[in-house]
Amino acid sequence: MTADAFIFWFLSLITLGSALSVMLLANPVYSALSLVMTMVGISALFVTLGAYFIAGVQLIVYAGAVMVLFVMVLMLFDLRAELQAFSRGQISGALKLATVGALAGLIGGALLLSAGNVAEPSMAEAAKLPPDASKALGIVLFTRHIFGFEALGVLLLVIAIGTVALARAKGGTHAKH
Amino acid sequence: MNHSLLMAILLLSPFVGFLINGLRWRKNGPNLAGGIATVAIFISFICSVLLFVDLVSMPQEARRIAVTFFEWIAVDRLKIGAGFVVDPISAIMILVITGVGTLIHLFSVSYMHHDKGVAKYFAYLNLFVFNMLILVLGDSLVTMFVGWEGVGLCSYLLIGFWFTDREKAAAGMKAFITNRIGDAAFLLGMFVLFMTFGTLNLHELNELAPTVAEGSWLGAATLGTLLLFIGATGKSAQIPLYVWLPDAMAGPTPVSALIHAATMVTAGVYMIVRLNAMFIAAPNTMMVIAVIGAATAVFAATIGMTQWDIKKVLAYSTVSQLGYMFLAAGVGAFGAAMFHLMTHAFFKALMFLGSGSVIHAMHEEQDIRKMGALKKYMPITHFTFFLGWLAIIGMPPFAGFFSKDLILEKAFASPLGHPLLWAAGVLGAVMTAFYMTRLMALTFWGKSRVPKEVHPHESPWLMTIPLIVLGFLSVVGGWIGIPHVISAILPGHPANILGDWLAPMLKVPLSDAHHHLDAATEWTLMGISVVLAAISAAVAYQFYVRSPETPDKIAKALGPVYQLVSKKYLIDELYFGAVINPLIRLSKNLWHHVDVNFIDKITYVLGDLVRGGGSLVRTLQTGNMQLYAMYVGLGLVAILSFVLMR
Amino acid sequence: MPSTDVFTTITLQHYLVLSAALFMIGLTGVLLRRNVIVIMMCIELMLNAVNLSFIAFSKFSGRIDGQIMVFFVLTIAAAEAAVGLALIVCIFKRFREVNIRFFEHLKG
Repeated sequence: MTADAFIFWFLSLITLGSALSVMLLANPVYSALSLVMTMVGISALFVTLGAYFIAGVQLIVYAGAVMVLFVMVLMLFDLRAELQAFSRGQISGALKLATVGALAGLIGGALLLSAGNVAEPSMAEAAKLPPDASKALGIVLFTRHIFGFEALGVLLLVIAIGTVALARAKGGTHAKH
Repeated sequence: MNHSLLMAILLLSPFVGFLINGLRWRKNGPNLAGGIATVAIFISFICSVLLFVDLVSMPQEARRIAVTFFEWIAVDRLKIGAGFVVDPISAIMILVITGVGTLIHLFSVSYMHHDKGVAKYFAYLNLFVFNMLILVLGDSLVTMFVGWEGVGLCSYLLIGFWFTDREKAAAGMKAFITNRIGDAAFLLGMFVLFMTFGTLNLHELNELAPTVAEGSWLGAATLGTLLLFIGATGKSAQIPLYVWLPDAMAGPTPVSALIHAATMVTAGVYMIVRLNAMFIAAPNTMMVIAVIGAATAVFAATIGMTQWDIKKVLAYSTVSQLGYMFLAAGVGAFGAAMFHLMTHAFFKALMFLGSGSVIHAMHEEQDIRKMGALKKYMPITHFTFFLGWLAIIGMPPFAGFFSKDLILEKAFASPLGHPLLWAAGVLGAVMTAFYMTRLMALTFWGKSRVPKEVHPHESPWLMTIPLIVLGFLSVVGGWIGIPHVISAILPGHPANILGDWLAPMLKVPLSDAHHHLDAATEWTLMGISVVLAAISAAVAYQFYVRSPETPDKIAKALGPVYQLVSKKYLIDELYFGAVINPLIRLSKNLWHHVDVNFIDKITYVLGDLVRGGGSLVRTLQTGNMQLYAMYVGLGLVAILSFVLMR
Repeated sequence: MPSTDVFTTITLQHYLVLSAALFMIGLTGVLLRRNVIVIMMCIELMLNAVNLSFIAFSKFSGRIDGQIMVFFVLTIAAAEAAVGLALIVCIFKRFREVNIRFFEHLKG
């Protein structure tokens, strides 16, 4: 077993485990902390894939900023563990699970089908990305994708203003009663 | 300043005024709103004067300032630009519109002072002037039509200005619908002309007009001009579409002065003068125009003799005077038509404003039977009204004399004219003198019949100044068209300035050269009409001032005839019986049977189908967002299975 | 020995299966959880799953564009989280409740 494979399995375990606990734990604060763990795991997976810059951004934006937001909101609401963490309807619950199962089966089937068709290179063979991928990313981002980048900047500005406006609003569009 | 800038300011200044007052009509008070509106029109007036001065400085043949701002419609052969032309004809019109318009705006400031919607009123008035300028300046029939419809809209809005009164709102609708009938014919006329000549540009149409008179009734020029003339009978209140104008007096009096006397109603005459080469090429149309004009002049005058409402009298007088203009146009005397149009704008605007002043003083009383002897309360109004009276009954040397005399002379002498047309014109003039004297006598002279609780008073200076200016114009306005026979004995005054000014723009009748009347005949014709009018005025004075009981005796003696005339020949009732009510009945039948049983059923069935389908699907719409997310997931499943199955 | 290859040689398939599994966990959470905030977290989970497959594709096809996409998705996801949480704060201020069961007013 090579180091590559070992790291992959290790990280997959952590990521899947913490993702499951996000979904299963009744206390939202635990869910949030598990989500942090998931993010860190995914960020580490990015590193194994050679996307160093994205991995860093992932850590800063997700594990840092977004998760702080989540935790802050949770603290603001002061929520305890819920008695009814999951939907109660049995038929609808079964339907939902069936949907998830069908989708998972289909995706798995698609992956299997494609595995038969295309000979996939292994990690060692596939290292075609330039060693300084971050630099290449920067160059492409500011040349070919400059419009998208700028549009994103505008979007962020709009979001910032909109969020402030939303959070300041005095609660809903209906009259209070 | 260059011409396109001047033209743009001329056109847009009233529009900007409209926007300002229209957008702030709850906030602008009477003085602010009136000030803005008046200044806007005054700026236009200055531009008009500047353009006019430029036009005068040009050589006679090249007097034409054309500006095209942008291309408006370009479809295949049809090319219409937002083009505007100032030439000798439209120059007179814009001077009259903006000049008289400024005075009437000024008058309105005081007249409408106590109205709640005063800013709205001024906004409409400015919009009207804007549209009127488009109408007269437009270089094609289509641009003209834009203005034509625009003034119709403003007329509707202003007639129904006090729309909370059902009767007034109905009068506005009547004007609008009657005009629509004419407008439909106007459109058809445009189609005919475009189909035949391939252009709607006025200048090009005049160039392309047949040079040989068209004999047939169905020739392109005849048919097109005839349809355009029907359009003109709507806008200019001629038989058979004149019925809206008397009712239009429901609007504020300055509106009657501006729209229903001085400017809009003359649009039909103006259109004919603009297209004179095309009309000249269609002698049949010309004959129809002349006959209808003469008939309207006499017909409306007879009704005018029996009315008791001060504004109604003036309204029928306007219809009658417009008849004169059409008579002039119909005999090919376009210059005379324009001349009368201008002088009429002066003295009729004056009389309407004067009547406004009287109504104002009498606390909204319009019945002349409740007036009398107002001379001593309202000296300025009386004096200016007196000048207008002399002008309209055609006493020399007042404005109306010269223009009316020119029309009568042409009706007699033009190759398209006929002594009968002249006779009708003289008859009309005699009756005009009678009912105008009657109006003067009942309103200002004789014994006072004013109710005790009303205390008439002279109007404020804002109202009297426009009266004085218009009174002055009513005196001197005619001096620019003095006929040759008079100027011959009047050394130092040039003859017929207006005729020479318009001459390059106008065609003379095609058939044969203008056979000139000798001076003696001309003097005789002039003498007959003036003397008859004077006698008629004297008789009216005798009746209504000296022995007020005589008219009643005559009315009794005439019995049914008088009743018929005073009820306006029952024309309104005739229209209701013959056209409107059958239409309403037909519509009601269609509604009760076809619409309810057939068309409605279809929509009901469709609606029920949709509702049934909806109630089936509605169960999916639970409001539970997680279920919606599941639907999205199911959609994904469907798409993926479809892709994989292939 | 193909049976051990699966464990020792890591290919694109491995990453894609991992990504799909993460996505499914996230989807299950979105469908079944009651707490709006937790639902938001599960949405983040799904977005991250997609990011992972993008990066994996980028790596195994040797093209940088996948990373660009991830960069955009990250930014959008952050924005979405901000707006979503602001909305939740609004809803909480109004109803004093974050259980999605109480927000079923948009019924047909």
